[in-house]
Amino acid sequence: MKRFKFTIIMFVMLTILLFNFSRVCYTVDRAEAEKALNDAESAVASAYLAVVEAENVGANVSKLNLKLRVAGECLANASNAFMLGNYEEAYAYAVNCTKIVEGLVYEAEALKEETQKSREERFFVSAACSSVGLSFLFVFSLFGWRRLKAFYVRRVLKMKPEVVEENEHRGP
Amino acid sequence: MNIEDLKLLYGIGCLVLGLIILSPTLAMVISLPGGERFSELWILGPEHLAENYPFNIVEGQVYNISLGVANHMGKTEYYVVYVKVRNQTEALPDSLNGTPSPLNPVFEYRVFLRDSEVWEKEISFSLREFKFENGSCRVSKLVLDENSIDIGKVAFWDAENRGFYLQLFFELWIYDSKVMGFQYHNRFVGLWLNATLTA
Repeated sequence: MKRFKFTIIMFVMLTILLFNFSRVCYTVDRAEAEKALNDAESAVASAYLAVVEAENVGANVSKLNLKLRVAGECLANASNAFMLGNYEEAYAYAVNCTKIVEGLVYEAEALKEETQKSREERFFVSAACSSVGLSFLFVFSLFGWRRLKAFYVRRVLKMKPEVVEENEHRGP
Repeated sequence: MNIEDLKLLYGIGCLVLGLIILSPTLAMVISLPGGERFSELWILGPEHLAENYPFNIVEGQVYNISLGVANHMGKTEYYVVYVKVRNQTEALPDSLNGTPSPLNPVFEYRVFLRDSEVWEKEISFSLREFKFENGSCRVSKLVLDENSIDIGKVAFWDAENRGFYLQLFFELWIYDSKVMGFQYHNRFVGLWLNATLTA
């Protein structure tokens, strides 16, 4: 039993060591770095387009913009490292960049839908209020016009010169 | 005032009141056209002013400038600023045709900017490994923000302006969703650098 335990412990330790060792020894070639860079570029572009769409419907995209900005810096670092021939660094930055924008498209789409929904609700409420307001205005303006017309006619009639009898005018 | 005038005045009053009642709904439907859409690109000197730009460049000495981009395009934009170096014989971007310089970029900055937002970055650079021979100066390295870049540029002696001139310039590119890629935004700024032994 003791031997069995020892074997298992040794096996686990060796696996961990092998895993770490392989990570240290792993080198990235130009093609891999280029692929990672292209993936990161398209991921960032898709995220950007989704954020702009959300922004166009009036969503508050400041949080998403912040993520985009970090991703953009990371992508620039990846691209610069690639231009300098530092493929490992380029790969690491590109992978990190892809991770940063992961899920950003869905977030932007959800935000867009949410904003559209609330906008539609607001529009409905606003349109309903306007309709009620306009109906009231129509009814009250008709009543108002009748009253105003009556007031106007009364005032005009008061201004009409009265016929004065001849006797009254002559005097004694 | 006769009754017809009063009727007209009353009608106009009711119409104005109706428009005021409708205005919140109309504002949600009608979008007014915005102002002129454009982007800005600039470089400033070490004191953050448009003066004292580095000119006479001594090998290995570090110089500072500020690079800025401003967005007035009415929405969030995705920009790339490409850094390029050229000598007097190499082509600049063509402002008339809106084409970029055919030279490859040596460095880049990527920026996302919301409408009316400004991005500014202080850039430090130095030129290294000068080799003066036969009326020319070969500059092998540009160190930009602590990144050493092989440029291998040869500046020829300019008898008129008395110097070995290289130009460090920045091109602004913008992401175009129609072509799904970056397009030259027809804006560039540059600095003439005279490679010298002493300041």
